Amino acid sequence: MRETILKTENLTKSYGKFTALDNADINVYRGDICGLIGRNGAGKTTFMKIVTGLTDQTSGSFQLFGNSGSTKFDKRRIGCLIENPAFFGSMTAFQNLKYYCLQKGIADMSKIDEVLALVNLTDARNKKFKTFSLGMKQRLGIAFAMLDDPDIVILDEPINGLDPIGISELRDTFKMLNRERGITFIISSHILTELYAVSDRFIFIDGGRILKDMTRQELDVECSRCTVVKCDDVKHASTIIDGMGITEYKIIDKNEIRIYQENVSVKELNKQLIKSGVDVDGINESGVSLEDYFKQLVGSGKD
Amino acid sequence: MTNMIKAELYRLTKTKGFYLFWSVALVTYLITIVYKEEGGLSLGAPLISDKSIKMDIRMVQRNFTYFYLFIIPPFSLICSEFTDKTYKNTITSAVSRRDYYIEKSAFCIGYSLVGFVLLNLLFYAANALINGSEYSSSFGDYFKAVMTQLPLMNAISCLFIMLAFLLKKGAAFNSVTIITPILYTTVALTMYGIGTTKKIAESMLKYEISTVILNLPVCTADHYRMKCYIFCAGLSAASLLIGYLVFSKKELD
Repeated sequence: MRETILKTENLTKSYGKFTALDNADINVYRGDICGLIGRNGAGKTTFMKIVTGLTDQTSGSFQLFGNSGSTKFDKRRIGCLIENPAFFGSMTAFQNLKYYCLQKGIADMSKIDEVLALVNLTDARNKKFKTFSLGMKQRLGIAFAMLDDPDIVILDEPINGLDPIGISELRDTFKMLNRERGITFIISSHILTELYAVSDRFIFIDGGRILKDMTRQELDVECSRCTVVKCDDVKHASTIIDGMGITEYKIIDKNEIRIYQENVSVKELNKQLIKSGVDVDGINESGVSLEDYFKQLVGSGKD
Repeated sequence: MTNMIKAELYRLTKTKGFYLFWSVALVTYLITIVYKEEGGLSLGAPLISDKSIKMDIRMVQRNFTYFYLFIIPPFSLICSEFTDKTYKNTITSAVSRRDYYIEKSAFCIGYSLVGFVLLNLLFYAANALINGSEYSSSFGDYFKAVMTQLPLMNAISCLFIMLAFLLKKGAAFNSVTIITPILYTTVALTMYGIGTTKKIAESMLKYEISTVILNLPVCTADHYRMKCYIFCAGLSAASLLIGYLVFSKKELD
């Protein structure tokens, strides 16, 4: 069984009458690259702020590494970048990171150059933070998050301001750190395609509510092109489908089968099912893009 | 706590405020030593010097300068964190919000008071060496005079820490801290002019900060000193408590 690193139960945050996070139940397991997807103001940052101790929840609870998330030990196992990267403008990249090394009690200062190299900022090591471009600031923020060899890294919109090459490099870095060091990531973004390229789990959030929590495989199934068969007896229907030599299909529920195999003749399928006494409610082509899928989810969340 | 102190000391040396703090104090002392006349700021306290008191103790009486010097540590260490929003980095990955407040406050107070004592002792040593015993008291008398002001200096430091956590932005913090004693004196003097409030005004002026700083090193009246110390203790505790409550309850941007 996979180790749960972060577990939230009914996590709620209200600002007066406005509920920014509404009974959020989330589990993040060791080794996940978890994408938190939502529009601006969906509750992603609020969720991250609670988990990292920047704000207190109104109700509900959360556990980090099996403990309440407020102990110092837990904090040092987390690397964070919440909202915009913030550093002292008059200090260089190296000085800024050295300050945080001293603060966290990291004795090995070679870690600074290691994390700067990780985000391609070695050349800017001695440049003052105030002279950095937006992308460089973002990368220094990520370097800061990696400083203490954390078990979990929480990044809020980390690709904001990065150019396409920078995004691609960062994506590879996240994957490498996840694969080689086993670092768990929670990455928020409203850019779905970018999040899709790096994450293996997806949490959809809107209006403060968790709409869906799914693996990459589940998302692929939801979004991929398929033929949807709606009928009264999926067990009997699946026998007919097998008999037609169709192997790539999945029984979704007691009334729905999805066939992922290409070039299936809908006319022939319908004919065979009716001939065998299956009451067919409908057969149609389905399949949506990630954006469309998200729009559908957000739409259903409002109902 | 040790890690935070190390980190703050490292960062402090990278700020302009650090050099300003020490250079302003040292220049003031240098001028005093060279001209053999005490110098510094005085707001409500009388400027007339009592020449029966030796020059180094008279200089201690002019320690109101530290009221303004003490603005620098909270400004550099606390307000700058809120201006640059760097407090997020510490709270998310090093210490809790409670520890952040305690450690920042402790460092600010420690730094201010160590700076105060150290600079006064440096002045004593330099003055004694250059101007000789004609202008300097015994070390015991001088040290005692400096120590009489320590509770008040602590209270000022605590007040500024509260204001820094309350106001957050450097501009607001500077405006309030700089204007407070001037406003206090103006109100007291205005009340003095009005017959009915004259007694209150007299009391206000008696316990005005620069007057207290002037009086404490040479004061022989125990009840006055005791009243001052009780007020300092109350102000210190109230400031730190209010600062903590505001910081821990208020939503951070």
